[in-house]
Amino acid sequence: MNALYLAAANLRYHWARTIVLIVAAALVLSVPVLTRTLLAAGEAALTARAEATPLLLGTRGSRLDLVMAGAYFTDDLPEPTTMATSEEVWDSGLGIPAPLHTTFTASGVRIVGTTLDYFDLRNLELSEGRVFATLGEAVLGANAARELSLGVGETILSDPENLFDLDGAYPLEMSISGILEPRGTPDDDAVFVDIKTAWIIEGIGHGHEDIIVEGEDAASAAARVVQFSRITPENEASFHFHGDPNGYPVTAVMVAPYDIRSETILRGRYLDAEGPVQAVVPSDVIDALVARLLRIAALVDTVTVIVGFAAALALGLALFLSWRLRAGEMFTAFALGAGRSMIARLALAEVALVLLGAALLATPVVIALSSYADIIVSRLVAFGS
Amino acid sequence: MRLPLLLLFCMAGAASAQDRPVIVADSYPVAYFAEQLAGDSADVRLVVPEGRDPSSWRPSLAEIGEIQSADLIVLNGAGLADWTSRAALPRARTVETTRGLTDRFIQTETITHSHGAEGSHSHEGVATHTWLDLEIAAAQAEALSVAIGRALPDIDVAANLQALADLLAALDAQGNALVDGDAVPTIASHPRYEYLGAAYDLEITSLDWEAGAEPNADQLAVLSELIAETGATLFIWEAAPPASANAAVADLGLAQAVVHPLTMPSGDMDFAQTMRANFAAIEEALR
Repeated sequence: MNALYLAAANLRYHWARTIVLIVAAALVLSVPVLTRTLLAAGEAALTARAEATPLLLGTRGSRLDLVMAGAYFTDDLPEPTTMATSEEVWDSGLGIPAPLHTTFTASGVRIVGTTLDYFDLRNLELSEGRVFATLGEAVLGANAARELSLGVGETILSDPENLFDLDGAYPLEMSISGILEPRGTPDDDAVFVDIKTAWIIEGIGHGHEDIIVEGEDAASAAARVVQFSRITPENEASFHFHGDPNGYPVTAVMVAPYDIRSETILRGRYLDAEGPVQAVVPSDVIDALVARLLRIAALVDTVTVIVGFAAALALGLALFLSWRLRAGEMFTAFALGAGRSMIARLALAEVALVLLGAALLATPVVIALSSYADIIVSRLVAFGS
Repeated sequence: MRLPLLLLFCMAGAASAQDRPVIVADSYPVAYFAEQLAGDSADVRLVVPEGRDPSSWRPSLAEIGEIQSADLIVLNGAGLADWTSRAALPRARTVETTRGLTDRFIQTETITHSHGAEGSHSHEGVATHTWLDLEIAAAQAEALSVAIGRALPDIDVAANLQALADLLAALDAQGNALVDGDAVPTIASHPRYEYLGAAYDLEITSLDWEAGAEPNADQLAVLSELIAETGATLFIWEAAPPASANAAVADLGLAQAVVHPLTMPSGDMDFAQTMRANFAAIEEALR
């Protein structure tokens, strides 16, 4: 008890040094725990989303890009496939496809152009409002609505594709028809629109006034054209699309096969390495990614042990040097009758108090950050590359 | 407020409407097919209000919401209901009955318009009244039966499909018996009868007269020129015209028949009864 009292008094007297020691020890203790927690949460989030996404179809290329764009709405955009890919699944009668168009953003949030089947396949529920009913309407994920401070009845503007691309996609003002219940998935961070609305943002569909007057040629009329940047009940009927709908671009097609046999047949159809479309089982891709992450985590663990050992040595050296500086003080204590064991207890008490302080500092930090692990992970995943 | 514009198409049956799956249709023929296939097992509704034309009607947002919540949405396709190209409909619960029949579509006038730096472009038009060819109607009914079987597996449509196919085949036979020999040059008051003409040997030339209205002198002059040009002997009215209009057309030497296009129900008669009446009217006129 005397040793603890004297150690505490000494640590209090050298408070600046004590704080540095406690913070350093707290960091050494908390970083590996936090790393492990975030990795575990990331693995769980990635795996859960992948398992909830039975099959993704997209242009042959990077399987990881296809999965990240199609299931997690990251900015790793694969080369687009066409709507024909989705239609072929319909025609096959083997499953329900939900085309996904994720090229654009609105206020930095990913716009997901899809069909209402996506809501059914993901079991998405609305916390307020209704699903989009027509062109130019949007449904916001829970996080997107909260962060953008937007509600039903307000509007959101799509981001220009390229500020300097005057011939590119023009911003479209969309009215918000509903907000989704939070699900803890990338759906929380997205703006959902009908896929036809996404094609309008892309310029494949558009609306405008009928501008040709009698006797005027098309070129003269074209100079006066003003395309609508907002879809209203008054101008909605003027919106139309160009070209073959089967050729319209989609980033990926999520497919829910009716049964295992249907899934097997579907996957078999896209095995040809020369074919333009590939079928990817997201859980396969994510399992491989997680396995890689775990190998990296093992490496991080090893590095953590080495760094921890080095930090312990540094802390020990700091304590040893401080004791060297206190040699005269120790000699006086020895002369006053304090035995070697008493001096050793004093040293151990100081170390124990520093470690206790570090633990007391690290614990709430770890608990607080761990409680936000899912959010931190979803943001890290959503930010993509 | 419950949608006043939704017609409750089938109220028969012991089960209440709330207990049965809801099938909505964008036009009368596919609503009729759905009713024949599903029987009392489903509540079949025609979404278009009475007195409105499915090709020009546009649902409100509330009405689209009602349509979205149906268990099955049945569309004719072929561009009949333009609003369906802009509304968000759940694909898994929507069936476009002519989707697999595009090779049988009849192209109409190409519409060209212009905008933007890309200049002018064209939209190919497609004749919309596919069901007036009963063979196509039968194929539509078959496509619908597959969709009902998939979306509403509790409904046994197999037996009903056979009965409907037999009915449509009988009507088709009645149509095929109308003309023996060369196609009959025919003028129609409205562009509705492309499939009817192609299926039953009527060489149709269409005018664009308002249904049931008295044609003016200019319109009659155009008709007279068309008769000279095509050698037409038959005139098809979309709706019964005033007696004076009948007389004016008769004076030009044309036999006349009223052929209901069936986009919406015809009074108290159902699809089959109306088609029989249509064929009977043509047969009478050709006699």
